[in-house]
Amino acid sequence: MRDRLSHLQEMSNGHVEPMEDAESTVSDTFSNVDLEEELPHEAVVFDDNSPALEEVFSQSQDIHREIQLIRLEVKRLREQNSRMLQGTTTMSTIKRDSNAIGADIKKRAEDVLARLHDMDGTSHKLEETHGSNSAVTRIARTQYACLSNGFRDAMFDYNEAEMSHRENCKAQIQRQMEIVGREVTGEEVEEMIEKGQWNIFNDNIVSEGKTARSALSQIEKRHQELVDLEARISGIHEIFLDIAMLVEEQGPMLTSIQSNVQKTDEGIQDALVKLGRAKRHDNNNPFKKMFCSCFPCFNS
Amino acid sequence: FWALENTTENHMFCKILNGVIKSVKKDGEWKVLIVDHMGMRILSSCCKMSDILAMGVTIVEDINKRRERICSLEAIYLIAPVQKSVRALINDFKDVGFTYKAAHIFFTEPCPDGLFTEIGRSRVAKVAKTLKEINIAFLPCESQVFSLDDPTSLYSFYSSKPNEEKDKMIENLAEQIATVCDTLKEYPAVRYRKGPEENARLADEVYRRLTAHKADNPSMGEGPDKARTQLLIVDRGFDPISPILHELTFQAMAYDLLDIKQDIYMYQTTGIGDSKEREVLLNEDDDLWVQLRHMHIADVTKKVTELLRTFCESKRMCTDNANIKDLSQMLKKMPQYQKDLSMYSTHLHLAEACMKKFKASLDKLCEVEQDLVIGATPDGEPLKDAMKSIVPVLLNNELEPYDKIRIILLYIFHKKKGITEENLAKLIQHANIQADSNIITNLENLGCNIIAGGSNAGKTLPERKERTGSTYDLSRWTPIIKDVMENVIDDKLDKRQWPFISDPAPINTTQTAVSARFGHWHKNKSPPEYRTGPRLIIFVIGGVAHSEMRSAYEVTQATDGKWEVLIGSSHILTPTSFLNDLKSLDQCIKNVSL
Repeated sequence: MRDRLSHLQEMSNGHVEPMEDAESTVSDTFSNVDLEEELPHEAVVFDDNSPALEEVFSQSQDIHREIQLIRLEVKRLREQNSRMLQGTTTMSTIKRDSNAIGADIKKRAEDVLARLHDMDGTSHKLEETHGSNSAVTRIARTQYACLSNGFRDAMFDYNEAEMSHRENCKAQIQRQMEIVGREVTGEEVEEMIEKGQWNIFNDNIVSEGKTARSALSQIEKRHQELVDLEARISGIHEIFLDIAMLVEEQGPMLTSIQSNVQKTDEGIQDALVKLGRAKRHDNNNPFKKMFCSCFPCFNS
Repeated sequence: FWALENTTENHMFCKILNGVIKSVKKDGEWKVLIVDHMGMRILSSCCKMSDILAMGVTIVEDINKRRERICSLEAIYLIAPVQKSVRALINDFKDVGFTYKAAHIFFTEPCPDGLFTEIGRSRVAKVAKTLKEINIAFLPCESQVFSLDDPTSLYSFYSSKPNEEKDKMIENLAEQIATVCDTLKEYPAVRYRKGPEENARLADEVYRRLTAHKADNPSMGEGPDKARTQLLIVDRGFDPISPILHELTFQAMAYDLLDIKQDIYMYQTTGIGDSKEREVLLNEDDDLWVQLRHMHIADVTKKVTELLRTFCESKRMCTDNANIKDLSQMLKKMPQYQKDLSMYSTHLHLAEACMKKFKASLDKLCEVEQDLVIGATPDGEPLKDAMKSIVPVLLNNELEPYDKIRIILLYIFHKKKGITEENLAKLIQHANIQADSNIITNLENLGCNIIAGGSNAGKTLPERKERTGSTYDLSRWTPIIKDVMENVIDDKLDKRQWPFISDPAPINTTQTAVSARFGHWHKNKSPPEYRTGPRLIIFVIGGVAHSEMRSAYEVTQATDGKWEVLIGSSHILTPTSFLNDLKSLDQCIKNVSL
């Protein structure tokens, strides 16, 4: 990679371009600040999409932040779940935390869904006002599409966190069952979870002694966690459905850069401008007029 | 492909682009990204919209389209240093009201002096905050495949019409190939297949460009094993069979039989909602595609079904049959697995579509083709009467003209010395393909022996290696380039038939610190080691076939990762596109500049 900015600047300083006074002040003092001061009168004439753009960015920033917060919560959940497995805190506080986090995630997710819905509405309004190919409309749609995908990834990641905890709980139950003298397969544990049958206490198991009691207590805890986990996941099923629907409706190809660039066409306004130019400059060249839309390469 | 601990071209590439765009990222500020055709293709081949959004870009514009002013945002330009793009750039800042707040310019290749001066004299020079040449003028289509994105290349090299632009074209090509090596930090020994003049010319020019790049970038080719890296220039005429043959491995078959454009596969499906048309990108982001693409079609459906069943079981989804029809049910029950289920759905559909086409008319055809190219039946019986096998195919009215042309060509190659004009006329008549018959004769432009005693008399296709080991009867052919790849690695490639442009560099025995300039990038995967072993880079003039791409991976795997084989060309062929390219060789086509 070669940096040639300094070459360019040397060349530019050495070159004196014939310019009018107004322009020379602009070029000499060019900086972000100056340009912004220049803008106000320009903005009225040309840049009427600035406030709309600001709103789009503000909306998307809010949603982005909420999604980041969801990710943070998922991280906390993972940590909490692993602490539970290690048995480092008392059961009652843990239970509240995991469920509390789960409830928080659910609430945030519902909020994000609502915001995304609003953003969709904004995009449609922009489309009506500025046209579907205007920059601000496309920016809004792109932000919306990417935020939807990001949201989906965050929520599906939440599911992964819960599922992996589920597997860990199952594994631990199996181990503890062995300790109390009752070996079970993964399948059998699944059945027990699904049917809610914990007959272990009635079978020929060792229930006396400190080890056995501790093992049984662990089993009970894990069982309760699994029950809570199932409840959390089924409680959020609707939301998962909504998210999947949201992403499905947009179509996966929106993520391709190529399709984002190629979707832009010159607007009718632009075509008229082009025709006007062609008329002005090419009165003598009927062929150029005829072909200018078919063979764009000949124009340059 | 994560089994290879090497840094693949693709990832190095992504890291660079990531670095490039991210380097100008400022928190809280969005930017506009402006691309020309080359820039867009390069970016698109390894980044998604979500990736560039993460880099602070909120919209991507085509530099050649009329664009709205967005004065509040700065612009990043990713363009080739060509007149059209540079003029458009200058134009953005011509009037007093600039189109954007500032410009960050990234050129794909070194900018020629004339254009650079033009920029220097324009107002762009005052608003440019960045100006860099990134030296990436190619597309990394896959981790071991690159393309220069020029489908007109076969015409440029081999058309019957005189081409005044040929020298310039070869120079441009050489520069692009040099950027491939530059990106890979390789300084290979350059070799070419002796025979066609273009091979030597291109090789010569590549060597010159490589040397120029090395002067600017001395770390190219540094490393204990790097002296063994070779770059081979070979012409399409060297193996005209591979791009024509019906292949039955997933990727090759799908691109041959189905209408897949720009790597996008479209199909009808039901998801959570009603039936709709889905578009899917077949690229290396799809882990399942990477797993399946080189597999034989017979194994693909089996594999996908097996994987889907395992997946469902692990997620406790109760289904009787894990197949396409159940997928929408599964999706409703467990929408959180949308991504995975979509992936399985795509590949089941794709495999089914391939098999449907195959069963409709191609199974008998493939038998004949394989016998012709191997010269023997699956039992090992030499093929006695080739004409007898192909006549029923030619007379079959249910076959497409292009399928018939393919059989005729394979028959001619089987004949080794070509066939008489008389016989050719008879075949064309049987097949009723008069309209497309020039495809056959145009192959002579590539140096192939079509008409017996014609201009290419005496030229023969190379002797093939004996290959043992079980293969499917309809997949006995191995691309000729695979023999070459293996020979290079074993250091057995004949120096007279494949001369070096310059003597290979002496083996560097000192341990040079390998540059870790580009940080590890990919979020979910473990960071790959920087590749230290030698590479074999092959450039095919006129287009590369899918089976040849597959060979690169197969040979790499066979070396246990000691070597990495990369293959590329001006563009990737399908049998149809190859025949279309051939068709135009004797016609006058205006050069369409992109």
